[in-house]
Formats: sequence, structure tokens, C-alpha cells
Amino acid sequence: MTSPGNNAAGRAGDAGGTSGVVRDTSQIAGGTSERAGGADQAASARGGDAARAVVKCVVWDVDHTLLDGVFLEADGEPPGADPAMVAVLAELSGRGILHAIASRNPPAAAEHVARVTGAAFVAAECGWDAKSDAIGRIADTLGIGTDAIAFVDDDPYERAEVSFARPEVMVLAPEEMTSAPGWPEFSPAVVTAEAARRSLLYLDRQRRQAAEREFGGSREEFLRWCQTEITIGPAAVADADRLAELSARTHQFNSAARALPAAGFAELIRAGETTGSRHAAGPAGPMRVGEVADPRPAVRLMGPTKAGEAAGPRPATGSAEAMAAGGVQSAAGDTARVLAVRLRDRFGDDGLVGTCVTEAGPDGWTVTLLAMSCRAMGRGVIDALLAWLIGAAARAGVRELAIPAILTPRNVPLRLALAAAGFRASEAESAGEPGAAGEPGQKRAVFRRSVDAGAAADSAGAIGAGGEAAGETPAPGEAAGSG
Amino acid sequence: MADRRPGEAAETGLELAGELRELLAELAGRPELRTADFGLPLFGTGIGLDSLTGTLLLREVHRRYGVDVAAEDLNLDALASLASLASFIETRRG
Repeated sequence: MTSPGNNAAGRAGDAGGTSGVVRDTSQIAGGTSERAGGADQAASARGGDAARAVVKCVVWDVDHTLLDGVFLEADGEPPGADPAMVAVLAELSGRGILHAIASRNPPAAAEHVARVTGAAFVAAECGWDAKSDAIGRIADTLGIGTDAIAFVDDDPYERAEVSFARPEVMVLAPEEMTSAPGWPEFSPAVVTAEAARRSLLYLDRQRRQAAEREFGGSREEFLRWCQTEITIGPAAVADADRLAELSARTHQFNSAARALPAAGFAELIRAGETTGSRHAAGPAGPMRVGEVADPRPAVRLMGPTKAGEAAGPRPATGSAEAMAAGGVQSAAGDTARVLAVRLRDRFGDDGLVGTCVTEAGPDGWTVTLLAMSCRAMGRGVIDALLAWLIGAAARAGVRELAIPAILTPRNVPLRLALAAAGFRASEAESAGEPGAAGEPGQKRAVFRRSVDAGAAADSAGAIGAGGEAAGETPAPGEAAGSG
Repeated sequence: MADRRPGEAAETGLELAGELRELLAELAGRPELRTADFGLPLFGTGIGLDSLTGTLLLREVHRRYGVDVAAEDLNLDALASLASLASFIETRRG
């Protein structure tokens, strides 16, 4: 549906994986005791194809899958964990893969499983409806696509139901999971700091969401109460892996729908660094949601960089140069700048959650990539980033900002943010012509916004949700502010 | 549509805008929106619709009324106000 180039191949992989599992299922149902044999066969039935997208979350059954028995049938103490699955849980967690539960048991079963496996489960669906529906709810809760989910269940009927209702889900038997850590679907190329802490970040998110349900005020008031801090600054080379991960894994706030490799980011960043003095200016304080002021002191800037000629070969997105902290200084030729957006609040530190790559051209700045983690959704980050860009462009005397974007059903949130920040596209066009981003047939549009001298001030008002109250945290329930 | 009596469309539109307002207040967790003006801008200093609430709203509109606003409206102009969203839905659901 959305599509970086490898998705089509990924879908073909899905089909192979599914049929392999179905065959394996009949073998298990037939009572084979050759567990290892079954797993090998399943692995080979997957066709050894490495094109499938990496799994983001494994949804686990409980009885005879994570537990060595049936939760409700236990007379006294419920059964313990299957040690083989405990090892798999830990291994995958360390790679940034999330775990969730879908079980036909009371909620107490999920708590028991978390205790005996020692694993963190970011979502638990305990109930008696179809597991394919439970998977849909888990994907919604996590803000990920069902095509990034693997489902593990010992019951062939449940596996068949999920395979049928959601062919995009990778469906596996528990015995197959022992070899899964060796498969490409469970092997992200690089495990970033954010990825290794991912399940903790989701647990922070659950606590935050629970607090929001209790909170009486608007979302903006809530974000202020959370002491939300959004820090926008030039990316460093050390950020390249995480930036590549963001470009590949994000969908809802991704303008390009195509991954840029870490090497590409590193090259863009290095080219910017060589032309600038990164530490010339001390960092300013981070921006707090709801803050209304000149956006300049509201963002943390690592130091201005100067425009100049970039050396070396140029990545596919264009060439590299620096967009100065206070604006691009007379962009002679093309220039590019990579921004890193970081997010933290009283519930936790989400680290690097967003990026944008900006090129300066004769008519204005073009944002060749805008990507933000869905975990940061609803926390004012995208609005802050767009407001910052508008303000920076205004200070640099740039007349127009342009954001080319692929139009997918999944990146509607990005379009909402663009609309809210005053960007408009004249007409959608088909991608696929030579040089255009995206797959043939994909729609794309260029969202533009003119920048006037007053934009720096205007943009401050756009931070958060257009709030007017500055500074102090309102008491929960107080309905002041964004009207 | 054609055989409706005059004024009916406007009434339905008003009723629909009321439903949308309820929905928005609920999704945004802001009860005070229940009395918001139908003409108040949804984006910016009016209602301050953020992308999360907007996404939930469009999803619910699609589910309830069968109108996929995002697929038909590139710039999401339908979201100018509750009144414009209601009229967008009204003219498409037939």
C-alpha cells in the first residue's frame, strides 16, 4: 500500500511465508513430533527471501505457546514459561522488536506471562473474539501496520484464521520461533539506542496515555503538563543509523515513502559539518509545547554552519551543504541540511524521533525528506518542526518552502500537519516518471508555503495547537488556552 | 437529492455538523467544543485541530458516512470548519 521499493517483493515473500506455515500446520496437526524438522521445512518454505520487511511486533498466544501448559486449567499455580520462548523473547527485545499478547484468557493471564517470562509486553488483548481482530487493535494501539506483525500460536486453527483474515501478517508456530532469530524478518540491520529501548518507550507511552485519559484539559494543556521538550538541531554523523531507521520505518509522517540508507545521511551530514563551525554558538534551551515567543530561543541549536561548496559524490536526494542555524547564508548552488528532532517529557526520553532534510535552491528551500516516528504523534512534534522550518526560512530571507510528498493512505497525518501549518499543493501528479520519487502509479504532490518576514512570529503561534497561553502549566481541567 | 423539499439539505447539513461537533469534542477530549461555532476554523487558532485528532476524525467520518475525505481532497479544505466538513460529506454520500 505505501511502499518503499521493496514492498512488492515483500508481499511476494508474505505469500510464500504463509503457505509454508500452512503446510507446516498440517504436519503439526498430523501429530509429528519432529519439531526441528518442521521448523526447517517452514524456513525453507519461506524461500530464504530476504526482501520481507522487518517485523516490528510479535503477537503471542499464551497457552502452550509462551506457557508450558494452559493458564485456566492449572489447579494451583498457573504453568511456567516455555524456556525456549523466554530466550526468543529476550533476543528479539534486544533487537528492538516489540512483544504483545493475544489470548483467549482473562487479563490475569497476561500479567502472569509477563511475570514468568520477564519480558515487557507493550499490548495485551485478552478476550474471546477473533485473533485477527485482536491483531488489528494491537497494530492500532502501537501505530504500526499489520504487515509489520508476526503472530505466534500453537493452535493451527488460530493460525489459519489469522492467515486468512490478514494475509500480510507473518504467521508462525511456536516451534518455528526458535529459529526465527536467524531469519532476516527478525534481523534489523542495525539496532539503534532508540530501538534497543523501544519496548520501554512504548511502556512510557502507555503511562502517558493513561495519564492523558485522567487529565481534564486539552491535549495542548496535557503536553505542557508533561513538560514536553522538543529539541531541533543539526544532525550529527552518529545519528545516521537512527535517521536511516526513521526514514525506513515511519509511514504516517513520512513524505518520501522511501528509505535513505545510513551512508546517505552520513554523507549529507558530513558535507554540512565540513563547511560549518558546529560549536560556535552555545545551545539554547529546548522548546516547550505551548511556548509562545520568537521561535529562535525556543529550539536547541548546536551552532551555525555556513554555506559553501560540498565535496565528494552526491547522494540520490541531491547534494550536500549547510543550512545555517539562523538560515542559509546566500545559498550559492544547492545546499542541504539534515535536522534531528528529539523529544522528551516527564514520562521518558524518546530520543531522536524525527528528521528533515532540506535543500536550499534559488527559489526557496525544498524539504526532500520529512519523517517522524509515530510514537511522537499527538505530542506537538510535527507542528513544532514545521513552525521551526517556517521561522528559519523567514530569518534566512527565503521566500518559499516546498515539501514534495508521496500521497499514501497511511500518511494522511502528515497532510493534516501540512494543512495546519498553511502548506498547500496545487495538484496531485503521478509518480513514476524518471527521477520522481515513489513507485509508478503512486500519487505525489508538492506542498508549498510562502514565507514572509512575519512568519517567524506567526510560526510561534503554530507550535502546539495554536495556543495563546504561554508559560505556566494550567491546572488539570482548566479550559483556558487554545479555544 | 432532487426530490427533497427546499431547506431539507440545509437542515440535514446542520444536523450532520452537530454530529461531527460531538465527535470532534469526544476525539479531542475537549467537552467545551460541544458548543463551538460551526464556522470556526478547525486548524490554527480556531479549534487547533492537531494531526492525531484530525486522523481519528477522518477515520471515523469514513467509517460512519462512507466518505474518504483524504482520498478526495488533496489539501483537506473540507476541514476548514465543521460546516464545510458537513457539506463535503453531504454532497458525497448521496
